Amino acid sequence: MPQQLRVVGQHVGKEAPLALTNKPYVKLEQITKSYGAHTVLRDVNLSVHSGGVLAIIGPSGSGKSTLLRCINYIEPPNKGIVTVGDVTIEGETPVSRRDLRALRSKLGMVFQSFNLFPHLTVLRNITLAQERVLGRTSAEAELIAMQLLTRVGLADKAAQYPSRCSGGQQQRIAIARALALDPKVMLFDEPTSALDPELGLEVLSVMRELATSGMTMIVVTHEMSFAENVSDHVAIMADGCILEYGPSREVIRNPQSARARQFLRAVNER
Amino acid sequence: MNALLQGATWDDFTSWLPDLWSGFVLSIEVTIASLAVGLPLGLALALGVQTKAMLLRGICLAVVEIGRGAPALVLLQFIYFGLPSAGLPLTSFVSATIALGWSTGAYTSEIIRAGLDSVPGGHKEAVSALGLSRMDGLRYVILPQGLRVAVPALLGFSILVFQASSLCFTIALPELISRAYEIGTNTFFYFPALATAGLFYVAICMPASFLVSYVEHRAGAYAVR
Repeated sequence: MPQQLRVVGQHVGKEAPLALTNKPYVKLEQITKSYGAHTVLRDVNLSVHSGGVLAIIGPSGSGKSTLLRCINYIEPPNKGIVTVGDVTIEGETPVSRRDLRALRSKLGMVFQSFNLFPHLTVLRNITLAQERVLGRTSAEAELIAMQLLTRVGLADKAAQYPSRCSGGQQQRIAIARALALDPKVMLFDEPTSALDPELGLEVLSVMRELATSGMTMIVVTHEMSFAENVSDHVAIMADGCILEYGPSREVIRNPQSARARQFLRAVNER
Repeated sequence: MNALLQGATWDDFTSWLPDLWSGFVLSIEVTIASLAVGLPLGLALALGVQTKAMLLRGICLAVVEIGRGAPALVLLQFIYFGLPSAGLPLTSFVSATIALGWSTGAYTSEIIRAGLDSVPGGHKEAVSALGLSRMDGLRYVILPQGLRVAVPALLGFSILVFQASSLCFTIALPELISRAYEIGTNTFFYFPALATAGLFYVAICMPASFLVSYVEHRAGAYAVR
């Protein structure tokens, strides 16, 4: 398996020196987002180092997903600064297409509802953006797609349509689709919430393998064991703010605020 | 029955067939021309009314609202009789194609827009997240899915356009109804001639309706799958 990783995961080594310089790769500063009078995020600050895995947990409606969507500007924040690698975008200024493209080229995203394109085969789902965005030839794109499908254990599904795959398989395909564009950071928006526990497990094991390979990841999740054992940092959100942030075990085992303790107690009692 | 036939004999009917046939062919031609103009126009308008460019959007909205608001008959008359007085004389075939194409474009733009709106928002988000350009997203993701949803309704509308081609009777286009009417004028067998023309319409529209429900069924199966 590790050998296979090297073939596809060129992203692993390249940015590693950054981690040594102690400068975060992803940095969110004072991110604020509101829909009309309803404020979803208030002055959120957060950073992730290259190779780091951050889990964002918290009750529904706390703004976790919105925060994740602000990073790649699928939901543009009203205020704040998003920095990913050498790209910096300020919330208030109109964003140029070039900046947006530069930002998104560093970020892969996996959705709760997979969002595979149902009219395209699994293989085409993975090759389309490689060809149209990165300008790879279809032969190159297919080679990379097959390597990634092998990595997530689904090489035999290449010619199928997504509807013929289980939810867990679809999510692994969606991960392969995002990885095919060589992202520096992977964003996961509740990747297992639409899956039963068993199917969720196969997705989590792919994510765990990805984390071990050195991928920088930001994961919005309700999976406490993933947050505790795979991610190195955890942020707990409630009401559009970050309640607690720190090394995973410290935050999960020894939360400081009453609201965080209440949330974690509820999670543990399930 | 005899009263309805007004004494027309079998030989009378067969003698009308060549004329009715050439009218029928012309009806089909004007329908195809109108659809060839109207369906691409409908797609362009569907995208145009959603664009952020205010001027383009305003123009598209006006074209849609006039096309839907004015009866096809009025559009026909306006273009065939109205434009020549503005110095733009058009043949009846061209006038018919423009008028029915306009009407088709206006109505199908709404059908196509509904089809495009049926594509889940998550797919549009995935398009953005993957970094695909807006054009690529439309071409490879949104249109293939949205148009597939719209196909049954578009086919149904095409049948209506074929029926509406009979309105060209009023601008001296020698299509099916004009031919039947002409036969009536010459022989006074108005009813038998028009009824025969009606059979031509039925011969196209009934199988076409069956085709639409078949396609609808198939499209539904795709959506469920």
